[in-house]
Formats: sequence, C-alpha cells, structure tokens
Amino acid sequence: MVHRYTSGMLELRDITRAYELGGEKAGAFGVSFSVPAGCLAVLAGPSGSGKTTLLQLAGLLDEPDEGEVFLEGEAVSRLTEKARCELRLRRLGFVFQAFNLVPVLSALENVMLPLQLQGMKDQLARGHAAEALARVGLSDRLEHRPGQLSGGQQQRVAIARALAPRPILVLADEPTASLDHAHGGPLMDLMAQQCRDSGVSFLVASHDPSVISRADVVFRLADGKLIATEWAPVTA
Amino acid sequence: MMLARLALRNVLRNRRRTALTLLVVIAGYMSLSLAGGFMAQTFEALSQAAIRGGIGHIQLLHPNALEGDEGQSLEFAIPDGEALASRLRTDPAIADVLPRIQFMGLLSNGPKSVAFLGTGVDPVREPKFMAVMDTLKDGAKANGGAGSRWLSAATGSREVILGMGLAKSLGATVGSSLTLMSTNKDGGLNALDVEVVGLQDMGLRELNDRMLTVSLDTAAQLVDAGSARSRLSLLLKRADDTAKELPRIQSITGKDVQALPWFELASFYKQVKLLYLAIFGFMGLVLFLVVLLATANTLLMSVMERVREFGTLRAMGMQAPQLTALLQWEGALLGLCGSGLGLLLTLIFRLGANALHLQMPAPPGTSHGYELNIHFVPMVYLGVFLGLQLTLQFSALFPGLKAAKLRIVEALRHV
Repeated sequence: MVHRYTSGMLELRDITRAYELGGEKAGAFGVSFSVPAGCLAVLAGPSGSGKTTLLQLAGLLDEPDEGEVFLEGEAVSRLTEKARCELRLRRLGFVFQAFNLVPVLSALENVMLPLQLQGMKDQLARGHAAEALARVGLSDRLEHRPGQLSGGQQQRVAIARALAPRPILVLADEPTASLDHAHGGPLMDLMAQQCRDSGVSFLVASHDPSVISRADVVFRLADGKLIATEWAPVTA
Repeated sequence: MMLARLALRNVLRNRRRTALTLLVVIAGYMSLSLAGGFMAQTFEALSQAAIRGGIGHIQLLHPNALEGDEGQSLEFAIPDGEALASRLRTDPAIADVLPRIQFMGLLSNGPKSVAFLGTGVDPVREPKFMAVMDTLKDGAKANGGAGSRWLSAATGSREVILGMGLAKSLGATVGSSLTLMSTNKDGGLNALDVEVVGLQDMGLRELNDRMLTVSLDTAAQLVDAGSARSRLSLLLKRADDTAKELPRIQSITGKDVQALPWFELASFYKQVKLLYLAIFGFMGLVLFLVVLLATANTLLMSVMERVREFGTLRAMGMQAPQLTALLQWEGALLGLCGSGLGLLLTLIFRLGANALHLQMPAPPGTSHGYELNIHFVPMVYLGVFLGLQLTLQFSALFPGLKAAKLRIVEALRHV
C-alpha cells in the first residue's frame, strides 16, 4: 500500500493506559500509530476498544502509563499540565459527541472563545470566528444560542470552534453519534474538506461506517490493541 | 474582559437562584449599613450629651480629682482656676472656658433635708455652650416646672435649679425658698438661702434625684472658694481637633493640672459604644456567615451543574487558574450587584424611616426617648460593601478551586 503522507504529525509510541471498568481492565495497551499532516484518520472499533482513551491521550487530556505521544516530533505527554494546556490551546482542536457548546454564549461567541483565550483582541476574534462559521455554512446563525440550533448545526459550530484557532490537529470523539445519517454524512464531508483545504489533520474516534468510509487511514482497535491499519488508496 | 463577560452570562443563567442569592446579599447590606447608621446616631447623640452636658471637649482638673471623694469641698481643686481660665480664653484654638465648682451637702426646706450634688456654673457662658436650656424649656419637660428659667447673672442673686427628683422629694417648685448647707474648703459649715427658679430634667433618674445647679458666685460663697475652681471645661473651636489639641493644652497648664478629653471622661459613652460595637460585631459576623454560606452554596451548585462545560473549557486550553478566576468574577458580580441594590434600598429605607419621625423608647436608665434618625455614614457603607465583597470572593474560592481541580477526562464524561 502506498500513501501520500510523508511526515508523522502525531505519533503515539507504545502507549499503555489502563483503568478498571466494571471490575475488568480496560484502556489501551502498547498501541503505536502515527497520523500524517492533512490526514483524516479514524480510530475504529467497538465500545470499550480504547478509542476514546487514545483520543484523550493524543489530545493531551490524560497521561499514558507507558509510552510517549509526539506532536510534530516533540515528546509532549510528560510536559507539565500548564504546558500541555498551552499546546491544546495553540495547536489542538476538539469536537465532542454531545457538542459541548457553552449554552449561555451565541454561536459566534462560542467560536470566539478559544481565540480570546489565546489573547486575541475581541474585534479580531469576532472576524476570525465569523469566517470560521461561514466555512461551515452558518453565516446566518451567528447570534443564535446553542439551544436555538439543531444538532447538526451545533456540531458545525463545534467544528468551527475547533478550527478557528488554526490548529494542526483536531480530535473528534464520535462526532456523528448524536446526529442522524442525513446530518452525519455532510458533517464528515466537511471535515474531509477542511483536511484538504487547510492541511489540518483530524483524528476521529468512531464506529460509524459513514465516518470510516471517508477516512484516509483507519486504525482498527479491539480490546485496547491496534489490530489493523488501513490506508485509503491514493487518488489522483 | 472575556472572563467577566462569561461570568455575567453564567450569573444570569439561573435567574431565580441568582435572585435569591442577591436577596441574601441585599438583606445583609441593608442590615449592616442601617445598623451602622443607627449606631452613628447613638454615638453622636451620646458624645453631644457628654460634651454639652458639662464636660466640654477637654476638661482641666486636679490630678487627684478622679481618685475619690473629697474630704472637704475643693480639696482637689485647681487653686487659681479663674486666672487659668482667663489665660486660656486668649488661646486661638479655644472657643471658651467654663469654670465649675462642684460641691455636696444638704438641701433643706426646714422640716426635711436631702443630700445633693451641686455644680456652680457661669450663668452667662453656660447656656451658650451647654445644653442646659434644653432641659428647662419653661417646664415643658419638667413636671411641675412651669415658669422655669435659667439662673440670673446678677451679682448677689441666690438662685438654684433643682433636678426634678430632688425637687419632688422636698415638695419644692419654682418660687420655693430652700437652704443650701455645705462645708467650706477649711471644713467649716456654711449655709445659704436660695430661691428655686427652675426644675431640670437631665435625662437620668439618678441625676434628677440628686443634682442642683447654682451660679458660680453662689457656689463660691457657699464653699468659700475664692478663685479656686473644681474643673474647667474647655470648648474648642473645632471639635475634631480634641485629640490633637490635648497635648498642647496640657503643656500650657503644666503638670499640676490634668487635661482629659471628653471621650475619656464620659464613661457612659464608652460603655455604650463598647456594647454597641460588640453587638454590631456579632450581628455582622452572623450576617457575613449567612451571606458566605448562601453564595458558596449557589456557586458550588453552579459548578456541579457545569462540570462537563468546565472540562470542555479546560480541553480547549483554559488554564486552571482562569477557571478559578471565572468563579471569582461570578462572586464579584453577585457582590457588586447585591451591594449596589442594597445601597439603593438602604438609602430609600433610610429616607423613609427618618421621614416618619419615629419615637424610640427611652434607653435604660434614662427618662425620655428620642427620635429615630439613621445617619448616612459613607465609611460604614463602604466598609459593609468591602466586607461583603470579600465574603463573596472568599465564598467563590472553594467552588473555583474545585472546578480547577477537576480531571478533564472525568469532567468530559460527567452527565
């Protein structure tokens, strides 16, 4: 199999993160993989296979028991919480299954939030956020609060929020699980388009076939172990 | 500002809960600031009662004068009090000096004699600076005192003003003739016939039962005082300068005469002030505790409802101290809003209560009540505001730290 990616933007090397779940050991055990730049990668597997655990480790939300996470070649999993927080702010974006928008803020304000956390001036952040919302087709919903938006629209706002700070990697945990098929497919198309247009990588945890079918690479997991890596064929 | 805006939205998120919390803060603010205003009225009234009741701003007396009863009249007097008074009247900071002779003895109507405590005062200067006329008022306040007047300044007039209780015990009223008996400064017994020209209600039952007032001239003749005076009451041009002027005046009088400020001599004022401060302190503590618990509960509930949101914010790159700061902002906004509304309602309530001219009952040991007049005391208002603000910041601390300590992965899983 030949693939078009040359550099590992995100690399997980021999990662182990174990925890107890219902009296049994769960998590991830000795998993290694890398995600190249501009790639839509999917962690696929049934519930309890370790998708979310690996996503959280890649997103620097948790520390591995063993192994190391590399972001653009730099070992980052043992950094201080403050440094990891700074990395999350500047270089990572997150999309959650339940959207996780701040309910008291409008769509525009939700997207402005990470920019303001970066210290960007309000006026500038407003412009960037409006632009990000336009990219996900929500120019006419800027002042709507999450409660006034449909599930699909909320997830688009979440994607705009993740993309607005121009991260190198967006981590998405079951982004289509709360959406019906009519909304899930276009949302994945949107992510794939962002990969192509802006060069940002997506690492998506999902067992949704419509998500897997759009992936550049699929890491199949079972019982916390990587059992297969499947690259999509190169297209002209 | 981003945190402040987010905090404002969060405070408005659950309006009913926020309104209840604000009510607690408002009630705390109003209670404390109104109580402070009432205390200020009381302190002001008591200080004026002490100063204008005869003490003056500074009193000059013999160094042993406060150590116990005199063996004989003027034993602990200022030997040449009149000369010292004249000298001090030329001082630019002093408005006037009121010499006094204090003596005791028996007052008799013939068949009956009653012990008294007498004060000889300057009949011209005294009404200018002291509240003596307020207690006479042509007998309006003194039962049976119709026709009361102040002491005549004419030389040789022998007049007396009696406390109401003292007059009653002798069956005397305005126009009665009585005999004053006292020892002179050499120990000899002197007697003087005097005419009752007024009855006096001094506000305290014990004083009304024992006190009488005569002119300096009458007192000096009775106790053979010459130029000696028991005390000199100094009235300053600026009352606020009392503490500042005290050492300077002490240096003028020398060590044979002791200068004491009114607030050291007015023991009733000191006791009431201490009592009120203790009550106010306890009440304040309880109220601050109530506000602390109410707001801490609100903010903690708010944190528990937003665990996943905090996890999201932390995942997005919000630092833990920023989350603590967010909760601090929420506490600050509750405090600012509560104190602001509390201030407004306090001012309205104060205006309304003062406009009603409510009569308060007579305090213990006094013979008449007074009108409620809650003072506007900016320092109290500011102090209560700062105290409440600090309380709210403190109450936001624990929820803020709790939010900051959340593990992100667990917070994101929170339902």
